[in-house]
Amino acid sequence: MPKDKFLKVIENKIHPNEKLVSTHCCYCGMQCGMNLRVDTTTNKIIGVEPRYDFPVNLGKMCPKGVTAYQQVNHPDRIQLPLIRTDASLKGTAEGFREASWEEALDLIVSKFKELQHNYGKDTLSVYSGVSMTNEKCYLTGKFARVALQTRYIDYNGRFCMSSAAAGLNRSLGIDRGSTIPWTDIHQTDCLFLAGSNAAECHPTSMFRIWEVQNRGGYLIVADPRETPLARRADIHLDLRPGTDLALANGIVHLLIKNGHIDEDFIRNHTNGFEETKEVVATFTPEYVSEITGVSVEKIVRTADIFGRAPDAIVMFCRGVEQQSKGTDNVSAYTNMSLVTGKIGRPKSGVATLTGQGNGQGGREHGQKADQLPGYRKLDNPEHVREIACAWGISAEEMPQKGVSAYEMFQLMKDKTIRSLYLLCSNPVVSAPNLNHVRESLKSLDFMVCCDFYLSESAEYADVVLPVTTWAEDDGTTTNLEGRIIRHRQAQDWFAESKPDWWIQIEIAKRMGRGQFFTHLKSPQDIFNEIRQVSKGGVADYYGVTYEKIDQNNGVFWPCREEGDEGQPHLFLDKKFYHPDGKAKICALPYRPPAEEPDEEYPLRLTTGRVVFHYLSGNQTRRIPFLTDMYPDPLLEVHPKTATRYGIEHDELVTLKTRRGEAQYRVKVIEAIREDTVFVPYHWGKAQSINLLTNPALDPYSKMPEFKACAAKIIKHKHGGVRHG
Amino acid sequence: MGKQVLYIEMDNCIGCRSCLAACTQCGGHDNRNRNYVLDVDPFISRQTIPLMCLHCVNPACARSCPAQAIQIADTGAVLSALVEKCIGCQNCTIACPYGIPKFDEEQNLMYKCDLCYDRTKEGIPPMCASVCPTNTLQWIEEAELEEKRAQIPLANGKWTASHDPDVLEGETNVKISLPGILQGKQKLF
Repeated sequence: MPKDKFLKVIENKIHPNEKLVSTHCCYCGMQCGMNLRVDTTTNKIIGVEPRYDFPVNLGKMCPKGVTAYQQVNHPDRIQLPLIRTDASLKGTAEGFREASWEEALDLIVSKFKELQHNYGKDTLSVYSGVSMTNEKCYLTGKFARVALQTRYIDYNGRFCMSSAAAGLNRSLGIDRGSTIPWTDIHQTDCLFLAGSNAAECHPTSMFRIWEVQNRGGYLIVADPRETPLARRADIHLDLRPGTDLALANGIVHLLIKNGHIDEDFIRNHTNGFEETKEVVATFTPEYVSEITGVSVEKIVRTADIFGRAPDAIVMFCRGVEQQSKGTDNVSAYTNMSLVTGKIGRPKSGVATLTGQGNGQGGREHGQKADQLPGYRKLDNPEHVREIACAWGISAEEMPQKGVSAYEMFQLMKDKTIRSLYLLCSNPVVSAPNLNHVRESLKSLDFMVCCDFYLSESAEYADVVLPVTTWAEDDGTTTNLEGRIIRHRQAQDWFAESKPDWWIQIEIAKRMGRGQFFTHLKSPQDIFNEIRQVSKGGVADYYGVTYEKIDQNNGVFWPCREEGDEGQPHLFLDKKFYHPDGKAKICALPYRPPAEEPDEEYPLRLTTGRVVFHYLSGNQTRRIPFLTDMYPDPLLEVHPKTATRYGIEHDELVTLKTRRGEAQYRVKVIEAIREDTVFVPYHWGKAQSINLLTNPALDPYSKMPEFKACAAKIIKHKHGGVRHG
Repeated sequence: MGKQVLYIEMDNCIGCRSCLAACTQCGGHDNRNRNYVLDVDPFISRQTIPLMCLHCVNPACARSCPAQAIQIADTGAVLSALVEKCIGCQNCTIACPYGIPKFDEEQNLMYKCDLCYDRTKEGIPPMCASVCPTNTLQWIEEAELEEKRAQIPLANGKWTASHDPDVLEGETNVKISLPGILQGKQKLF
């Protein structure tokens, strides 16, 4: 519902001497539309206005979105490249001096060349993120493999989206996070959300989610905590962290038993039903209740409602995916849609709520250790040949498959990797088992970090390069629906900062590999290369142009030809992306979390987010409104658990696991299971909950088990309650 | 376009404080919010509710103002104290049953929500309702309000807390539906 007439009034009457730049938020995968207010005399971003014409959020914004513009001209921005002068101060903000770009780039290239001369090409590594544009994500993959010629590249999506990707690929043959556009959500009859605190992590989805109930539909939420979403759900499945697979199997068991399955759909469009039927046969409500802690009645009622719903959508998020069986969880929940045939049509399907801004696009263009652009695989010789040809290198020159993000830190520790080029990520806050990660970074011979603030990770670097924020460059991202959208430059590059693509091309030139990059002079040039290179791949962007995105307010991939409008709904023809066109119903035996509570560590620790902060908090912890609202991480404890430990609300306690410990203030609240405690992960240094989390990896996606590990609370001798 | 009103659906609130953040972005608000969000019972649940100025038809803040500094706009919006008239007596902050007007010690001046008068007089939703991601705060036409009233009647024939003239300040221009409105909702299947 475009309401551009408002914007004319706003621009002309409410904010004279300003212009509005239509763009999108920099934070989560919703990529909400917003207008940035730009002072036309100073050409600086000074505020925000709602943008009503973008169909995903219709002008709505969360507190992060409203204040996002404040990071652009923030006093903490790095103005010039920084070079470390005192290696003994690594891990602190001290020991840097400012330098020119020439000096910084020369130093980087001479170090890279020296290390590669001494230890081979693969001694370098690239660790990137997906809060940046498709153009930057794509170029980073090419930069690692063509400019640096190393096999070691991976990205922080490994901690965020990789289980969703692996699970959806296995079940549906394609990894697009949502099979439906977000504008379908409020029209469905039954919305099943597992492991998603959507109210805090994707707040602008909420008006659609509530609308399901307003229309008389059902909302079912599986979460160990009574989140703001679960509070109002028709059924809250309050399961123990790490037991989703049993719950999903139990629901599928009942769907089959009650005859709520679509036999024609199963026969014609799926494989694997019989094996799955056999595996789930033992998952009776009583058995599932024993594993999950959810009452039999709730499990039975869930299966009944889901089975009877004319249309239903299954959605899942990090609570399900950040487990050492995250991939299985995703496939198991997808089974619910497949056995009932509630997929491949409007108002029914599966969707994962993407955490990072470009979590979708960022995993399509070849940043992953095993992947090339357009979802091509490095272990497929034909795919390697296609991309090598497009890049102008020989297939033999293409580096081999590398290792996943967390595994890279292990290789740093044993000196297989001696140098790291880090961009758009803050792993010393966001990775699991941080004591190990921090030691790994300290053991590097040379580290480069690209960031616009001196993040906790940048403090480990030898050279820090100041990069532009999202509002200072053009480019595209692909939101959680699979919709490719435009971010627009609203002000000039801040101080001496440069976009990541500019830096990578400069380094490529100095590494003697400029011939593969110098034709790329703008984000649009890079996007056009993505179009060409992705052509024929699963994530086909060939038919997407900047102009078409502008005209249609975004274009859904796959979009194979220039006349193609893109595909908001997947599988309308009931053709899945496996070679035989069928989806796979996966038979998945249950296994418990990698670490179960015991006498020494009797509690289950789970982690997550709060609405006021984003990822490692490097951006949001600097915004006054957001830090005022939630300044420090709190340990959520059920009142009965608090009584058992003799601790009070607001008391400072130590939380300990086998990997580390940290101190937190207690937040006593009934909205959590008695056997579970929760801490949000957005804080650095001694407050990082990831000092404690378990790096046990999912065997398919290599995603760590952030969501469940054994923990204990240690009460301090002198309480430390803060009153008043 | 018919007359538009601010309508609050309490049950939808998730405590994200977008309305507060957005309020700070309004012209002339000096980065200070003029609406609030309360935790209903923080030791028990995550239920929160917004606390907004209800723009009373006969507002206690204006009635109690000895300087006649609080004006009521033609749209029904009860405006912030006029700088040239406000004497800083804080009668209004005491009189308001909802705790909305706040006092700026430095400027010796009351400030409160003016329903984004500069926007709403042009038909643009107020900032808080514009951004509210949960539809807790809605800027709707009166006809739409009537539809909602018909959809979700309470057992006693009423449906809003702010409509009954016996309650607090009587009739308000902002309409509120109480928590629990979905309890009688007919399910689709």
